Amino acid sequence: MKRAPSLFFYLPAGLVFSVFFWLPLAGLLLESFRPFTPGRVGAVTDAPLTLANYEELLTPSFLEFFTQTLRISLFASLVGLVFSFTLAYWITRRMSPRGRAIAIGFFVSLMFLSVLVRTYALELTFGAAGPFRAMLLSVGIYPNSRGYIEILVAAGLLHYIVPLATLTLLTTIQNVDPRLFDAAQTLGAPGWRAHLSITLPLSRDGLLAAFLFSFAFSISAFVIPMILGKGRVLFVSNLIYNRFSEIADFPSGAAISVVLFAVSITIVYVTTRYVNRREAV
Amino acid sequence: MDRIVEFHDVVKRFGQTMAVGGVTFSVASGETVSLLGPSGCGKTTTLRLISGFEEPDEGTIRIAGESMKGKRPYERNVGLLFQHYALFPHMTVAENIGYGLKYRGWPKAEIPARVAEMLRLVQLQGFEPRRPPTMSGGQQQRVALARVLATSPKLVLLDEPLSALDAKLREELRLELKQILSAVGSTTIVVTHDQDEAMSLADRIIVMNRGCIEQEGTPDEIYAEPRTSFVAGFIGRANWFCGRLGKGPDGAFVTLTTEAGSTLRMRAPQKIDDGKWRACVRPERMILTRPDAKSDGRSDNLVSGNLVDIVSLGGEIHYVVEGADGRLLAVEPNRGGPRVNKGERVGLSFQPEDCVAFPLAEA
Repeated sequence: MKRAPSLFFYLPAGLVFSVFFWLPLAGLLLESFRPFTPGRVGAVTDAPLTLANYEELLTPSFLEFFTQTLRISLFASLVGLVFSFTLAYWITRRMSPRGRAIAIGFFVSLMFLSVLVRTYALELTFGAAGPFRAMLLSVGIYPNSRGYIEILVAAGLLHYIVPLATLTLLTTIQNVDPRLFDAAQTLGAPGWRAHLSITLPLSRDGLLAAFLFSFAFSISAFVIPMILGKGRVLFVSNLIYNRFSEIADFPSGAAISVVLFAVSITIVYVTTRYVNRREAV
Repeated sequence: MDRIVEFHDVVKRFGQTMAVGGVTFSVASGETVSLLGPSGCGKTTTLRLISGFEEPDEGTIRIAGESMKGKRPYERNVGLLFQHYALFPHMTVAENIGYGLKYRGWPKAEIPARVAEMLRLVQLQGFEPRRPPTMSGGQQQRVALARVLATSPKLVLLDEPLSALDAKLREELRLELKQILSAVGSTTIVVTHDQDEAMSLADRIIVMNRGCIEQEGTPDEIYAEPRTSFVAGFIGRANWFCGRLGKGPDGAFVTLTTEAGSTLRMRAPQKIDDGKWRACVRPERMILTRPDAKSDGRSDNLVSGNLVDIVSLGGEIHYVVEGADGRLLAVEPNRGGPRVNKGERVGLSFQPEDCVAFPLAEA
């Protein structure tokens, strides 16, 4: 059989995807254009369409949620990428096969640990009431200051980013021929410069994938900023939750969700384009 | 003559394994030396020791008179041509060749001219913007060579330089490689398990086995005067006779009485003992004759057997003879087809000067 499988075989997956992904998304999109009726859960059916929910998002206090989410996510993703790349390199090139298996097992099992457990553990250890409180205060860091909390949220995100990105990068680094690094050295490039000019560019696709995974995970994070942010640092997801559940403003919550979705897709598109364009030149 | 490479009692172990067991040799300026041996003989470790990827456990390595102790690969001006080229796939040909120039401190403005010069040397003018993955194996090999030679390294190491290419291309590139290397006058070490590669490229061959040097010499010396049975067996084809040695009629020759009862005369080894010996005769030194051919006054050795196979390789014909002393091979140039028919009884005659005996215990 040389023929491509007929459309028929794609039907079940397509159907499920349409019903459970596209349909709710369309509902959300529609809801985001409806006016909010206080005291009512969800907009009135057939209410006239409006852009009011989107206009509201342009006010500085709302924009702040987006910039904050993006800033902390970007920071955590980039830091995570640096950690993960070095870790993945070390695991693939320096460890014995046995050590490698143990390391991979460790990272995989980390993913099974509940996000709640890990986030509370971080809060217990480094939070405002943690054992480091006195030490932090003595060097002039206030555990309730905004900067510190932001770093704590980033640390929470890194808990997920590092194992995920490391596992992604393992195969990437495995596929880079180690002799290229040797060749660079015999041509006079010291170790780190050989890595910068050879290993890193050749890991481009893997780095991009790992970055996008990490970034997508971060900007949609909910539990981590909720617990570690303590209301001072809130991500867009927290705002969406707040809209939907606490004041029951479904149209506004829907509008924020749509914008977050659009922002994510734009970032993926632009990043991928940018990286691939640089390769083509 | 200046010595570019000096190895003195170099030992390298990996755990319990002795990869290089006390190796001493030197390479003179402008010379091409081949390290030849089977896989696991220590030649690749020697190469890695020279290029700085491994440090010796004992002994000293000097390059151009300078001790290499603690010198990282990028601190040695040693060019290494990798077996599978190791070209950087994300860079153009020009960037590949320019890579070493950049890190060896060439002025940026001079790099394009040098790259063009190197491409001319390997006959790939105008290939600057190409990317290695779009090029053929032979072209990639040339780019790799240009990249190695661009920085004028004190020493060029070639790691199985032609083994990744097909037979015909290999022949062509071998000649070209030799021309290019002598044109730039580089000092070269060719590491290979392929004796043709070693013989054709090198002025001198160092045969290695089990981490040690078995013999050093010109290709002709190694082939005609193997000093150990390993060398005799590894370089070229050989016919072997096993037996015990006895004193010959004159001092220069001894007799070997084989297990099958043949008596062969051969050159006397330096000392003789009562143990078992094996003697080696090159197939092209064996002359196919009639089985009852009387030696024509000159006391040539003669063994007989049945001609069991004839293999014509175009340029030469291989006669496989099964006799009392086992299976023997005679190779003659093809001058109008085989002289004898398969299944006939034939004799093989050869001169005592062409037999070299080794004590069997050594093998």
